[in-house]
Amino acid sequence: MSKLWVDLMIAFRSLVQHRRRTAFLGTAIAAVTALLVLLTGLSTGVRETMIDTATTLSTGHINVGGFFKVTAGQASPVVTNYEKVMADAKKAVPEMAFAVHRGRGWAKVVSDTGAMQLGITGIDIKSEPAFASVLRIASGKLEDLAQPGTILIFDTQAEKLGVKVGDALTISAPTTRGTNNTIDVRIVAIAHGLGLLSSWNCFVPIQSLRALYQLNQDATGVVQIILERRDLEKIPEISERLRKSLEAGGYRLMTADPRAFWMKFQSVTREDWTGQKLDVTTWEDEISFMTWTLKALDGLTIVLILILLAIVVIGIMNTMWIAIRERTREIGTLRAIGMQRGSVLWMFLLESLMLGLFASTAGALGGAAIAAGLNSLHIPVPISVQLFLMSDHLHLSIHGSMLVQRIVVITLVTGLAALYPSLRAARLRPVVAMSHFG
Amino acid sequence: MNPPMSMRMKTRTTSFAFALAAALVASALFHGRAVAALTTPQMIDILKIVDDRQRNNGDWRASAYLEQKEKDKVDVVYETEYFRRSSDQKFMILFLKPKSSAGQGYLRIDKNLWFYDPSVGKWERRTERERIGGTNSRRSDFDESRLAEEYDPTDEGEEKLGAYSAQKLLLKGKAGLDLAFPMIRIWIDKDTKNVLKRQEYALSGRLLRTSYYPKWKKQHSASKNGDVWYPEEIRFYDEVEKANQTLVLIKAVDMKALPANLFTKAWLESKSR
Repeated sequence: MSKLWVDLMIAFRSLVQHRRRTAFLGTAIAAVTALLVLLTGLSTGVRETMIDTATTLSTGHINVGGFFKVTAGQASPVVTNYEKVMADAKKAVPEMAFAVHRGRGWAKVVSDTGAMQLGITGIDIKSEPAFASVLRIASGKLEDLAQPGTILIFDTQAEKLGVKVGDALTISAPTTRGTNNTIDVRIVAIAHGLGLLSSWNCFVPIQSLRALYQLNQDATGVVQIILERRDLEKIPEISERLRKSLEAGGYRLMTADPRAFWMKFQSVTREDWTGQKLDVTTWEDEISFMTWTLKALDGLTIVLILILLAIVVIGIMNTMWIAIRERTREIGTLRAIGMQRGSVLWMFLLESLMLGLFASTAGALGGAAIAAGLNSLHIPVPISVQLFLMSDHLHLSIHGSMLVQRIVVITLVTGLAALYPSLRAARLRPVVAMSHFG
Repeated sequence: MNPPMSMRMKTRTTSFAFALAAALVASALFHGRAVAALTTPQMIDILKIVDDRQRNNGDWRASAYLEQKEKDKVDVVYETEYFRRSSDQKFMILFLKPKSSAGQGYLRIDKNLWFYDPSVGKWERRTERERIGGTNSRRSDFDESRLAEEYDPTDEGEEKLGAYSAQKLLLKGKAGLDLAFPMIRIWIDKDTKNVLKRQEYALSGRLLRTSYYPKWKKQHSASKNGDVWYPEEIRFYDEVEKANQTLVLIKAVDMKALPANLFTKAWLESKSR
């Protein structure tokens, strides 16, 4: 123990003695670590924002949706007898935090000045308190969405339709039997956009959606299951368990297909069956059309991390070579008075590891501070970026475990980078080293 | 003995001033009574008169010509025939011209408005906000007036509309009804109780349409045993798309009883076969 303490003290003093080199290399390592922390924070932030927004706006962590077909060629995103489905799902998924049901539809929304095709989500606003926490209402009252014949739209839609709170919209869509039906709704709230999902989605009370599609009270579009955050890693396992449980319970299930429900209309319509079939999907399936952004961001982050690590490795190796060259006579003297090769190697390695640890810790803390600063500034992002970010401002998510991980990685990389030069230093013969003039 | 001239003058001036003051007070009182806000029963009575004058209490058949003018588009004229039955509030419009629209129609049964397009052979359920044939007219523009049943009035005083003295009312739609417009500002001729002008609003207060009723005509109805008044000409001005306007001319009104099977989907479908 005392030997390790002595070694540590020697390494520390050596770093202090060569303070210019230490400061230069330490700053570089700290900067790279901070950059790494910010990059990972951005990637994690986007992922978390996407999950939170998507699981509030359009999907649960796990969904029990499906299609009802009156005839083989006509499919509607309807789940009949949903209360029983919900109860069976609760039994199969004890990890469930809560579950909600929502109506699903796709309809033409017409104002006095324009029209657009929108996804219509039927919602019981009273049973979804989390909904209010994600949305930012620009005008109107979200609570009024509890009244039948009302609608919540997003600001970009309001702009395109030329409407404001209090104006009426007409929604037209084909019912499960193919007859076009129309309802009038009053705009009670306009919310700020939340990216791609909010650009083509709007919300009406579930009873209004049922009136539009002429559905019974026991019909809905999907049962959305929300899990605790700690169980999110187990989603594939839980959804598979739920699928098997529903099959065992006598429900007919669709073949697993990792796509959003609206992307399945064509294939379902082509299939030769009628009646009800359930479909179990995860949040990633339901927003599969946009998770490529996450994958792209992850890929980009990995490439950048590799480039940064390469810079660190090259920088450290180069600096170590210079240090060894400068300290060749010192190494020779130490070897001449009896220091073993292993000790020389250890001394240089320890010095690098210590530098890596101090610098990466400072860098990680600095990165976390910058991230906190950026978050507090609520920096707005361009609309094109909002589409995929699902948020109108930049959010970086920094976790303690992630900071520790980055510090350990950078310290180890620093140590590894110093390994070869340290080995070369340890191999120096005392006579040659002592006669070195550099 | 006669009083001196100055005293007589003073007495006359005092009398004149008193008379003038009395006249002003009387005028103010009289005028005050004339412009006092109408009570709700009074306003409802006015609306009932408006409704009653247009009510037929029987069947109705008429031709309607709809001329639609839109910015940067060719004017379109539709020739239609429309039918209604007071007893069960049934209603139907059949498009006769142009050829591209012939056979299309709207049918209102059981408070549901259906649209039929023979080119696809399908019925679609529409709401009262539906623009008839894409023009700026609504189904209710052709139907019997039901203002007293459907709206709650607020008095907005009197106003001169050209030579006419009009009672101005703000009407707010009653809850739970399918109405083309939730809020209407209406000018009713004080003498005849004919509607002169309407401004139709969204609930947000946005003005959507202004309508003028320049020509009213009456016709004797046997079923009512009295005269039925109807607007021979209506002009609709789109207040959202300012350049758009619709002219409606109502002709050939016939109030004889219609066949029982007229207000059916089958009848309307048969007109395009």
